[in-house]
Amino acid sequence: MTQKVKTDTSIKSEVETVTLTIDDRQVTVPKGTTVLEAATRLGIHIPTFCWHPKLKPVGACRMCYVEIEKMPKLQVSCATQAMDGMVVYTNSDQVKQGRRAVIEFLLLNHPLDCPTCDKGGECELQNLTFAHGVDDSRFDFQKYRFTDESVITTFDDIRIGPEIILNRNRCILCYKCVRANKEAFGEYDLGAYERGNKTEINVAPGGQVDNPFSGNLVEICPVGALTNTDWRYKIRVWLTKMVPSVCNLTSSGTNILFYKEDHKNHIFRVTSRCNDDIDDGWLTDITRYSYQIANSAERLQTPLIKKEGKQVPATWDEALEVIFKRFNEIREKKGSVCIGGLAAPHLDNASLYSFSKFFRTVFRSNNIDFRCDYRMLPNKPDSVFSILCSRPFKISNIDNSDVIVTFGSDLVREHPNEYLHLRKAFNFNSPRIFSINPYSVKSADVADLELVYNVGTDEAVINGICLAAVEQNLVEPSAALRWKEKVSLSSLAETEAYCGVSETDLKAVAKALADGSQITFIIGELITRSKAREAIAAAIANLNLLFRLDSKGQLAALARYANSKGAERLGLMPCPSSAVERELALLWGEFPDCQPHTTDAMLALMKKEELNGLFILGANPVMLYPDREFVREGLEKLEFLVVCDLFETETTALADVVLPLSSWAEFSGDYVSLEGRVQRAERAIKPIGQSRPGFEIIDVIAQKFGKRLFSSANDIASEIERLLRLPSTVEMPREFLEVKPLREEVDEKFPIPLFIGDDPHHSGHITEKATSLANFASEAYLEMSSDLAATYGLKEGDSVRVESEVGKIIIPAKISENLDGNVVFIPRNFSATPVTSLLMRKRRIDRVKITKVVE
Amino acid sequence: MFYSPVTTNAAEATASDQLHLFKYVEDPDQHKIETYEAHGGYAAWKKVLNGMPPVAVIEEVKQSGLRGRGGAGFPAGLKWGFIPKDSPKPRYLCCNADESEPGTCKDRVIMERDPHAVIEGMAIAAYAIGCHLMFIYIRGEFCHCAERIDAAMKEAYAKGYLGKNINNSSYDLDMIVHTGGGAYICGEETGLLNSLEGERGMSRIRPPFPAVEGLYSCPTIVNNVETLASVPHIINRGADWYRSLGTEKSTGTKIFSLTGHVKRPGNYEVELGFPLRKLIYDPVYGGGILGDKKLKGVIPGGASTPFLTPEMIDVGLDYESLTDIGSMLGSGAVIVFHEDTCIVWVILKLIHFFRHESCGKCTPCREGTAWLEQIIRRIEHGQGKSGDIETIENICSNILGRTICPLGDAAVMPIQSAIKHWREEWQYHIDQKKCLVKSVFEFQ
Amino acid sequence: MILTEESIKQIQEKTSQYPRCKSAILPALTIAYRQMGYLNSEVYKEISRVIKVPYVEIAEAATFYTLFPKQPVGKYLIQVCHNISCALLGADSLIEYLEQKLSIKRGETTPDNLFTLVTVECLGSCATAPMMQINQDYYENLTREKVDQIIEELRSKA
Repeated sequence: MTQKVKTDTSIKSEVETVTLTIDDRQVTVPKGTTVLEAATRLGIHIPTFCWHPKLKPVGACRMCYVEIEKMPKLQVSCATQAMDGMVVYTNSDQVKQGRRAVIEFLLLNHPLDCPTCDKGGECELQNLTFAHGVDDSRFDFQKYRFTDESVITTFDDIRIGPEIILNRNRCILCYKCVRANKEAFGEYDLGAYERGNKTEINVAPGGQVDNPFSGNLVEICPVGALTNTDWRYKIRVWLTKMVPSVCNLTSSGTNILFYKEDHKNHIFRVTSRCNDDIDDGWLTDITRYSYQIANSAERLQTPLIKKEGKQVPATWDEALEVIFKRFNEIREKKGSVCIGGLAAPHLDNASLYSFSKFFRTVFRSNNIDFRCDYRMLPNKPDSVFSILCSRPFKISNIDNSDVIVTFGSDLVREHPNEYLHLRKAFNFNSPRIFSINPYSVKSADVADLELVYNVGTDEAVINGICLAAVEQNLVEPSAALRWKEKVSLSSLAETEAYCGVSETDLKAVAKALADGSQITFIIGELITRSKAREAIAAAIANLNLLFRLDSKGQLAALARYANSKGAERLGLMPCPSSAVERELALLWGEFPDCQPHTTDAMLALMKKEELNGLFILGANPVMLYPDREFVREGLEKLEFLVVCDLFETETTALADVVLPLSSWAEFSGDYVSLEGRVQRAERAIKPIGQSRPGFEIIDVIAQKFGKRLFSSANDIASEIERLLRLPSTVEMPREFLEVKPLREEVDEKFPIPLFIGDDPHHSGHITEKATSLANFASEAYLEMSSDLAATYGLKEGDSVRVESEVGKIIIPAKISENLDGNVVFIPRNFSATPVTSLLMRKRRIDRVKITKVVE
Repeated sequence: MFYSPVTTNAAEATASDQLHLFKYVEDPDQHKIETYEAHGGYAAWKKVLNGMPPVAVIEEVKQSGLRGRGGAGFPAGLKWGFIPKDSPKPRYLCCNADESEPGTCKDRVIMERDPHAVIEGMAIAAYAIGCHLMFIYIRGEFCHCAERIDAAMKEAYAKGYLGKNINNSSYDLDMIVHTGGGAYICGEETGLLNSLEGERGMSRIRPPFPAVEGLYSCPTIVNNVETLASVPHIINRGADWYRSLGTEKSTGTKIFSLTGHVKRPGNYEVELGFPLRKLIYDPVYGGGILGDKKLKGVIPGGASTPFLTPEMIDVGLDYESLTDIGSMLGSGAVIVFHEDTCIVWVILKLIHFFRHESCGKCTPCREGTAWLEQIIRRIEHGQGKSGDIETIENICSNILGRTICPLGDAAVMPIQSAIKHWREEWQYHIDQKKCLVKSVFEFQ
Repeated sequence: MILTEESIKQIQEKTSQYPRCKSAILPALTIAYRQMGYLNSEVYKEISRVIKVPYVEIAEAATFYTLFPKQPVGKYLIQVCHNISCALLGADSLIEYLEQKLSIKRGETTPDNLFTLVTVECLGSCATAPMMQINQDYYENLTREKVDQIIEELRSKA
């Protein structure tokens, strides 16, 4: 609420607020607030069906009536703007009568399904009928029933998606599902057909609701018209308890609620715990159904020890004994620098910190790393790329940005939560949105301009934008000169020829960046996992300096795991930043000065048998690290391998000892989101089987080695706090950098660029175990444009052999809605398809050749 | 050639100095641009382009007192003035030719026989609000109207009355003919805009009003065909002349569609304030009741307006007088029915229509009209229950004023007035399980 | 391809006139309907491809309106208005007469696939009641003779 007051008191101050009276109480709100929102500020809850805080109001249900003085008719408060001096009554007789009438109308054709309807106990219609409705029904006709051939049960339920079941009789036509689907998610799988009271909300014939945000539709449905398969008929909501937590499979830090039941020690579902700064109350399906990982029947229940080539169940004592014995052997024979550790970046702060402390103070080794998948190939500390990863980013700032650029980012797959914010900005403001990628992506649907550049020319595109700015005199002349000294580019025409992006487009982007005052620039996974990312980072640093982006907005490479930011700041790297190293030295009294080795270096050492022991906490490098053969060879040559994970995986299969790890729902932990926000996820259920949280496992192992890592629980917390308090943002370079474009060598035998990523319903290697997510997608596919498919004579579902220089796989083809041109995409989340066997670590772009498999 | 053999009072209009909409409406060539121009057509458009700034046009129309002829009766000039002066967004004009109000058949005559009048009126209105792309939304069933308007539009383009740099005034204006798909609700302002945008034709909440945020969220004006067809005459002959017609607050002339049990149903252009009795009984107009029977009731302004009983037909046909006696001028569709008509049967027809046309967005209209139809159908079929009338009245009061758009009000006002005037007939229906007067209308 | 080249060309031309391509949904449906006589989800899919608007938006709009039949209809679609002005002048008995004459009930099609009879709401021709619309033409001021004549003419033309 800003009150612009001019210093000259004779001029009236410009008021941007209004004051109104609601139920005899005064409230002052910003101009443009609706009466409904103003009432909420006073704690007055006006009942609604069709209103949603994040969707445009439609005034359809008419439940939010209020009486306003000087207006004869009842007004809908969700759509009426608060005016100065308004006098509003939310509970007068007329209002009460109006609400009763609306409830009566809604109940006319609403079936009496309450005893068998899942929504019972949390149904808006039930609640509001009790609060505001009629006692008896005067309707004595037959209730209208939607029946047709698609009906599958006596209750006229029809399945409209892998997880959603629709009952049209119960629908009260608040239209929230259709509106949310179109406005908030940009999806078009649900529509309202016919007219009047025969209107039905349904999918297109042969269509499904399977977008990555589909679970939200069930959550916002005020009645039991839309229900989730995973919750149906399992339990009544009042028998569960809610536990606040945070999503562990995405990096935004989405706030969730677990619904758990203690007797069964089971989580029944997840709903949102609306955090307006992060998620606006929308959950991706990954977040929503990930709890099923905790409940999965395949969870590791006991430790396993390899005896005579087979892994057999054992007790914790046995396992710990073996671990101590074998690591000690290696330590005494070759020194503990021959032991390494890999921790997964979705583990909580305590586990990660204990891991680091254990390795550095017990083994005195710097061979630890948290970057063990292809997305996070290790980089040099204090490199420009690291600076980009450290930049501050506030998710809610996307909403107000006037220019938004996503560079090398398939936003829907990588950061679905931020994609929703992009859509929100698009719906409510009018930002200029640019999508700059080597292939066409879904998030470009809302973009003003989509720049699709030739694969492998990322830094040249950025240089091109800078050049466009310089040539159009959009930036400070001295800066332009200094830039030109470092980056010699001949002309925009050449850039156009090389990158495949038109001059006009480059100029448009340059103009927008120069004019914008609140810019969001997101650097995506296609850049962060590229071998050429240092070169690209240098180009981006130049862009930042030239346009002074860091002073008028945010520019960052966003973290990709639930706690990768935490891992960085707690020093889980072989060579942490000097500030972190100093602090750790202070905390522990010592810091090992041996040679640090990244994951890649460790794997190379393992192959040479110079690293003989490895401890993996929660990670699955065999499945996720590029060049599967390289990883396997390394791990197989180890003398001793310990793996802690939730399930038996490709990596645990190679281990000498396997320890069962608890999921994030089974203990309380803190996680640092991509914004740097520390959030607590509370414990919902007791650890499954004999699993234990990471920090407990480290603790008991350390004790075996005779070291008490922490004297009390408070210690961990306070030590972590000291590290988290260190400033983590690094300033962007103040000088222009030389950008050396890395030209690609293309092997003609393998012409097609291959991109690996997440399926929209999966993340990482364990979402396969969530049954609902597996319902959406359970096997890998080769996604390609229809043109490319036609070139190879491929139809949807045909088997394709995909070969690279190092491996080959056979998977079905899938025709993409978005991809264009000559690229293919394979999701990496399905263990049946070892996609990483196609990847090499040395190439900038992995390329493959594809051939149709003829039976 | 005339597509429709409808009766009009064109002869009177041709001879008169006051009547102007129907002056040439019986001329079979009026739809051709040469004939139109020979009859003084496009003079107003040229006059406006050559020296009347937009604000002057708006002022002239405001002064004339022209009110919307589609049903709402909102002063047209005032509406045009609501366009925000400083909005950078493009402005749009939509001509509402979605004539679907039961009993109304006047716009069809103008569009088929005098399409250039509509185009000229639209052009002047577009100029007044600064619009460069105007639409005409014609209901899908009016295929020949659409053809005529389309042909007229092409003629206008050819003669340079539309397009770029019209008449060397540097004003550009384009026109699109958009045909509907069969929905009464698309005659409602916001329903029309939604339909034009390609959405389902459901109403929008107001505010924001279309003049501020209309088509594609840009400032938009929606006016009826008749309203716009009146504009060239106002420009040509001045606001003062227009104000001299009709009554003080309801200026000008209006076309009334007289239908039902009269000897000469047809479209009649008369000055506002014209006595209803004369319209029904005068041999030049309605000619009296069919079969010389006694009058039972009159719907004065289309299916959404409350009924008038025979004692009330001495009223003048203008906005104020009809409002004063509890009804509305509406679209000017006068539907007459004689003593051998069952009132419940009439209401059933009407409520069936409104239920069929309800868009389904807001709860009271969507559920209420369906429920009302069920109860009224039951009464009409002799299965009414005691207490039904009270229930109907209660449902009506729960819909009136509680909906997004006026369709809800339109549905219930006739019912309320029918019960008010003929309550005994309703009660008879329920008690005796049959009509007081059986409506058997044989088609000849 | 269900839509002819000509139809697709017309649709594309019309789409180019509008500031937003979504506005072309209704004109596209009209053009497709004129070609096919009815509309179904296959047609919506094709229109979706041609004007580049998601399928669901097309289907939503199409099912909202009453002008487009969803099943194939006879060569002549007879739409009789049964609203108040027409009903006051005998529209209900006109409908019965047609039902008798064509030996079908309202909503049905004659076995020779020539006539489909439906009742519709006000067609905007109230002063020439009773009346009916057959395909694109209005037939007004109907009498029994006229109806007989019209049906005969249409039968012989087919």
